Amino acid sequence: MTITAWLIIAVIGLPWVGAVAAWAAGEKRVKLLNILAPCFSLAAGLAALLLIGFSSAKVSLSLPVGGAFGDFSFTPDGLGVALAAIATVIGSLAVIFSIDYMRGESQLSRYYALVLFFIGAMAGLVLTNSLLLMFVFWEITALCSYALISFYNDDPKAVAGGIKALIITQLGGIGLLAGALLVYTQTGSFEISNFLSIAHSLSPILLAWMGFGFLIAAAAKSAQFPFQTWLPDAMEAPTPISALIHAATMVNAGVYLLVRFYPAFREVIGWPMAVMIIGAITTLMAAVMALVANDLKRVLAYSTVSQLGYMVYAVGAGGVMSSQFHLLSHAIFKALLFLAAGAVIHSVGTRDMRQMGGLGRQMPIVRTVFIIGALALAGIPIFNGFWSKELILETGLTNGPFVLYLVMVFSAGLTALYTFRCVWLVFYGEPRTQMHGHDAGIAMRVALVPLAFGVVTSWLLAGPFEHLLSSTLPFHFPGAVSTTSTWEILMEVVTTPATLFALVIIALGLAGWWWRDRLSGLTKALQGFSRFAADSFGFEKINKAIVNEAQTSGEALRVTQTGQLNWNVAGILIGLVAVLVTLLLGAGL
Amino acid sequence: MNFSIPNVILLAVLGLLGVGLYGLLVMRNLIKVVVALQILAKGAILALVLAGRMQGAIGIGQSMALTVIVADTVIAVIGLSLAVQVRRHCGTLDVQALSSLRR
Repeated sequence: MTITAWLIIAVIGLPWVGAVAAWAAGEKRVKLLNILAPCFSLAAGLAALLLIGFSSAKVSLSLPVGGAFGDFSFTPDGLGVALAAIATVIGSLAVIFSIDYMRGESQLSRYYALVLFFIGAMAGLVLTNSLLLMFVFWEITALCSYALISFYNDDPKAVAGGIKALIITQLGGIGLLAGALLVYTQTGSFEISNFLSIAHSLSPILLAWMGFGFLIAAAAKSAQFPFQTWLPDAMEAPTPISALIHAATMVNAGVYLLVRFYPAFREVIGWPMAVMIIGAITTLMAAVMALVANDLKRVLAYSTVSQLGYMVYAVGAGGVMSSQFHLLSHAIFKALLFLAAGAVIHSVGTRDMRQMGGLGRQMPIVRTVFIIGALALAGIPIFNGFWSKELILETGLTNGPFVLYLVMVFSAGLTALYTFRCVWLVFYGEPRTQMHGHDAGIAMRVALVPLAFGVVTSWLLAGPFEHLLSSTLPFHFPGAVSTTSTWEILMEVVTTPATLFALVIIALGLAGWWWRDRLSGLTKALQGFSRFAADSFGFEKINKAIVNEAQTSGEALRVTQTGQLNWNVAGILIGLVAVLVTLLLGAGL
Repeated sequence: MNFSIPNVILLAVLGLLGVGLYGLLVMRNLIKVVVALQILAKGAILALVLAGRMQGAIGIGQSMALTVIVADTVIAVIGLSLAVQVRRHCGTLDVQALSSLRR
């Protein structure tokens, strides 16, 4: 086997070995757990970073598993290695952060085992070349997400949030499975590269079915319209989990799926437009909801949904590079924001921003890194969020309808507005209640500082990142390998009028917060609307109605479940007769 | 209808399956249910042997039949031991009376 194959095995296998080790260590040996979990995740992160150097478009590891499903193959192409590196590196930082955050909690072995299991599955999901295996990894990440949202399993809200997330992401799983089975029936294998190479020769109607199946899968996983309701409720999870799974990695799987299969579906009529519209609706709606939320983690959750909307929109507009680059930026700055928010919540013991205020003096380090992350989220120049967001807006302006572009730019202004509202409510102003915040502990700082450094510098990777993608993804970039340098990409962003326009809107968003007192008339006029937004635009009501309907119909069907053997045998016999009659009629025809 | 060997065996298979299903349909005594299940399984085993013979692959049919016999024995043992336990705990063998899990 080659080095590449071993590295792939290490990236997926090391976290899983760590998971078993953490589970075997037991919850009594906390010190051992606090050493084991960071070691295994850091080793996997190192392997993933090394794997970037070995990236290629070829299958590098192929595990024969008998003839039925084809081989389980893995391809370390640009998309895969970049996401695997994000998952493992941010994963290990989240694990290190947990040492401080989860101190004194019980059942830590369950916690670490699930986190490590998740990291390995996420790396497998993005590296595999087999649709079937991808589905398996996809479901493992959903399971880990569910189990970690409900980690505090004596809290009914956490349990309900976990179940909600599981059910809604299962809807997406069905879409993925249906699409994968269709691909299998049409191409005769589960191999993704094979499908991409012959997709243009398949019937357009079948391609459309596959495309929209995958779109449902992506929308449910990435919390896009109309499935966005599960992510805010997932905030009952411990904060490092929110940072890792519900901001930096798992929710990106949907965007990854769309990007991965973009070459197959870009010719499907209406597919790119549907993707763009879903992205735009989600971005705008989530930004408005973030503006009226009062729970610190919910604000961040809505902003995650909103930023994922940007990425989905970019895929629809054909911006493979810009959506992935924003994914990278977003993973770094949102993990930073969540972890910093975790440090705040850990120290003051509440998530309600109305009770915070003036915490900046008590926790200067956390304030500094949070503001760095917030500037990136708001799209302020030189931070990584600025460059990637401008790239997306530029792609949208050139390849998409102007109306959607305006929606996205307007949302960028809203993003700046809610980000600064959040920073102000937490760190500035007068303390609204008596709170004694203490600054981050050592393990927390070890996790926060590299992320802050990444937020300030990761945009310098634009050129190499584009080269990595274009040199290993022959179906996405059929032309020549890109040799654009970072400098050229950045100059392109700086010199387009679109950037200036977006910056003006962002500045207006900031000004809106600065002069909020003078705009009080406007705020009052919009009060009804803001209540509607705080009520999640009625989507929670739809959710509850569906749940109620399912429960009543289940109760109504209870009479058929007699539990009596004789009735069940009669049912089997009736079924047998029905099958026989159908067969006879079929033979008669 | 000629009484060749396959036809006779087929009739026996159908008879066994019919008796077994009838037993499962109407019996309320748990022991009798297990007996009916056994008769049903014997019909299935006979069908396997017959199918092997008709396909010209007697060996495969018989080896499948042997496998089913083993599984069938396990089912009989577990079923009967369950019946014993049910009698001890509930004081009855009537399957319709076993409803303590219903709401």
